Amino acid sequence: MISCREVMERLWDYLDGELPPEATLQFADHIAACKRCFPQYQFEFAYLEALARQRQRVPGPSDALVQRLRAILST
Amino acid sequence: MSASVGSDRTTLEHDLLAELSAVHRFALHLARDAARAEDLVQETFLKAWTHGDQFQRGTSCRAWLFTICRNAFLKGEGRTTRETPTEDAELEALGAAALHGSVQATDPTGAVFERAELDTAVQEAVAKLPEEYRTAVVLVDIEDQSYAAAAGILGVPLGTVRSRLFRGRRLLQQDLLAYAQDAGLLPAMKEPTR
Repeated sequence: MISCREVMERLWDYLDGELPPEATLQFADHIAACKRCFPQYQFEFAYLEALARQRQRVPGPSDALVQRLRAILST
Repeated sequence: MSASVGSDRTTLEHDLLAELSAVHRFALHLARDAARAEDLVQETFLKAWTHGDQFQRGTSCRAWLFTICRNAFLKGEGRTTRETPTEDAELEALGAAALHGSVQATDPTGAVFERAELDTAVQEAVAKLPEEYRTAVVLVDIEDQSYAAAAGILGVPLGTVRSRLFRGRRLLQQDLLAYAQDAGLLPAMKEPTR
């Protein structure tokens, strides 16, 4: 049985998929049933989603850069 | 050039171009300047193309390019990879939990992070992070690299990546919640317990 403190300490590892399979299942069970940890999980999940959205926000490379790279790769 | 060498070069060219967007994003986060980022990308691709024989088939081409790109960035900054004191990752995670505690009454599930208005603030807050934390956050949270892959790219132990990542996340979260409060997206926070 894992404690709320353990979940708080390793919640980011869980969200990052970095826990071993058995611990992942224990965390999932605990979080689903715990009134204290579930909101924290939702909060951190939303936060990490906001960071991941940055992937779509960054402008792509300029055409000039793409042309320069193609020239390099053709040598 | 033999047929097999020619074919290897064609494959490498294809692999490199497939990673261009990701390398460009990574370079922008490192350099925080569009022109400098393009120079970094060009330098990265030139090195990768010149030393293509060092790329091991079956490993991640993206991770290899990120490594080259960061080394080029550090070299340009006149810096080498250095060890900073390692923060306690668990304490950082508990700090984040305390931060959540300060907004629990008004935004228990982090709805504020879904607001489009926050996206620009996220970009600016990431850019403000010290390089060690910024790089860890960008690699794992934006470029979706595992802790192990990020450790390989940065040339540091996995525990160091984890502690830098957690510290960076906590600093960012603190910054974003303060921004959200100032912008009226969140009611005033209680002072987080440290």
